[in-house]
Amino acid sequence: MTNARWWLLLAVLAVACVAGLAIGPVPIGVVDVLRALTGSGDAQAVAIVRDLRLTRVCLAAITGAGLGMSGAALQGTLRNALAEPYLLGVSGGAAVGAVLAVVAGLTAAVALPVAAFSGAAAAVALVLVIARVASGRADPRVLLMAGVVVGAFANAAIMVLLAGAGEGTVRNALWWMMGSVAGAEWATIRWLALYAIAAGILLVAVARDIDLLALGEDAAAGLGVRVSNATRRVFLLSALLAAVTVAGAGLVGFVGLVVPALARAFGIRRARELLVASAVLGAALVVGADVVARTVRAPAELPLGAVTALIGVPFFLVRLRRAA
Amino acid sequence: MPRGRPRGGGRIAGALGVQGSFPGRSEPVVFSATCRRNRRVALAPALAPALAPALAPAPARARALVLSLVLSLAACAAPRDDRASRETPDAASRDVPSAAPLVDDFGDTLRLARPAERVVSLNPVTTEALFAMGADARLIGRSRWDASPPEVRRIPDLGDGIQPNVEAVLAARPDLVVLYAAEANRTAAAAFRRAGVQTLSMRTDRIADLARVLHALGIAVGGSAAARVVADSVRRSLDAVGARGAGQPPLSVFWYAWPSPIITIGAGSYLDELITRAGARNVFGDLAQPSPQVTLESVAARNPDLILAGPVSSARLRADPRWRAVRAVREGRVFVFDTSLVGRPGVRLGEGARSLRALIDSAAHALRASTTRSAP
Repeated sequence: MTNARWWLLLAVLAVACVAGLAIGPVPIGVVDVLRALTGSGDAQAVAIVRDLRLTRVCLAAITGAGLGMSGAALQGTLRNALAEPYLLGVSGGAAVGAVLAVVAGLTAAVALPVAAFSGAAAAVALVLVIARVASGRADPRVLLMAGVVVGAFANAAIMVLLAGAGEGTVRNALWWMMGSVAGAEWATIRWLALYAIAAGILLVAVARDIDLLALGEDAAAGLGVRVSNATRRVFLLSALLAAVTVAGAGLVGFVGLVVPALARAFGIRRARELLVASAVLGAALVVGADVVARTVRAPAELPLGAVTALIGVPFFLVRLRRAA
Repeated sequence: MPRGRPRGGGRIAGALGVQGSFPGRSEPVVFSATCRRNRRVALAPALAPALAPALAPAPARARALVLSLVLSLAACAAPRDDRASRETPDAASRDVPSAAPLVDDFGDTLRLARPAERVVSLNPVTTEALFAMGADARLIGRSRWDASPPEVRRIPDLGDGIQPNVEAVLAARPDLVVLYAAEANRTAAAAFRRAGVQTLSMRTDRIADLARVLHALGIAVGGSAAARVVADSVRRSLDAVGARGAGQPPLSVFWYAWPSPIITIGAGSYLDELITRAGARNVFGDLAQPSPQVTLESVAARNPDLILAGPVSSARLRADPRWRAVRAVREGRVFVFDTSLVGRPGVRLGEGARSLRALIDSAAHALRASTTRSAP
């Protein structure tokens, strides 16, 4: 891929971030926004830009990058352009893990992504087992159906967990499940960024395996890949990325579906580049979606998951038609 | 369900706006104002037995209250207006359901051959109102959210008030189920009626709703006179609070009802009315919904003079650095309201209004102090 394309991708992300920092109910000019970022200028503007807008932009960027990479890795490994963490029930599993942690009183910023990850990993394992039992070899369509089933099961499990909870907990949990970066705080962003960057780097490191797996399991094995080990590694890293986004921003669907497809439309094919481009585009998409979520119905805000679903579902239908 | 959950309980005495401590004494202090309009003192002995059945199993405090009601009725049983006198054409023969059919907020007509004797009230506002009317002996069930008055705990808890467990309620064999008229309760109301149980579904969202609700409850349990006394005293205790002096600029208020997502109050809420009555202005009063969800930055943009928050929300607010974006938070004008007083638009509205007025006054004081400090 040419350098110009990379610059274009980065420019898209930069525009989204500037929009995220400059747009809001309190009018602050772009110059003042930049000054506020450095901590100088009006105290009110500094507080709004740094603590309200920058936190949202950062969490949205982490969420988008994580979901984009997770989707790109899953699509390559499963050889299925419709695979993504939300549709595969991975995010749902992460949500169960996170809700379990909250119900058990574990709400520390370090622990929540770990709890979400155990749920996500369990969901991945369950999806793969169901798909294999149902169709011998993992049929892409059966896999998606297994994902939907596991997602529905995760939903039901959350409802059961919440049945005995107080009114307040239920309201918090339902809001969180619709996806939102409104709760972004530096204390949690730090940990989420750490997990996401680590998982992202590891995923890029195994990008060659993803390329080979995309050729088919037999071909990959013939080229010296230990298929089941490599597959498991990619799935676990994808699950970790998805879990980090769920712990931070709840259920935000379809980003992992839309973003790798857009990256491919840029002419990107190799997994390593696809992963990086998906991270950049995913960050831009979710930062932009958050700007939409908090301005369309201001002073209220729409759930972020609803905005990404409104973008993603038509996209999914188009791709489904093309895949059929 | 109205937002919030009252914790702890106020006293029934407070419900009626009685000043000072009430339990143990039964002087009808507050009601004396009604008596100036008194014309039919002779009705009193007839009314007392009408209310007497409600007395028997009630605890001492409630009994004292009802006694005081009866005493005050004895002095001033005259209906206050023509409509009221039509409802009770012959007060001496008890309050029978009136000839004009009572239609509730679901459009259902209340058809009772005689006053309801086994009442399930699934709305904390109506439960508390029935206690205040001295009709608590007729209560055989309540919702799990009921907490006021404290005596309410001896009434069996029948579960949720929105989308109630119809079968559990029917098992208590009620002759009347009082519901909050939320859309989600339509199915339940229809189910109760199909099962031959009368329902009274009333909205309790605005201040004006309370008088309608008391009127309807009065007819339903045959206690119209008591209901009127309660309604009158709530109205008077509200009026007594009054607004801040003219000429003072109205303070703007952000009401922080819930932290995630941030929920405040809009024009559809009785709290918006209470804030206006206290001489302040709700910064989100332009939103029609009773409990709109808003972003933190929009709170900063509307720059309220003070923030009124519940105990949970205010603790969250103090712990969260992002709230420093709001000037009132930076300058320390966050005031904690008593959820048990203002959580519901019930018979203790007067008390709630008084406590809000006090909070707003102290905010005005703090604001004056800070402006004089910052002046050279």
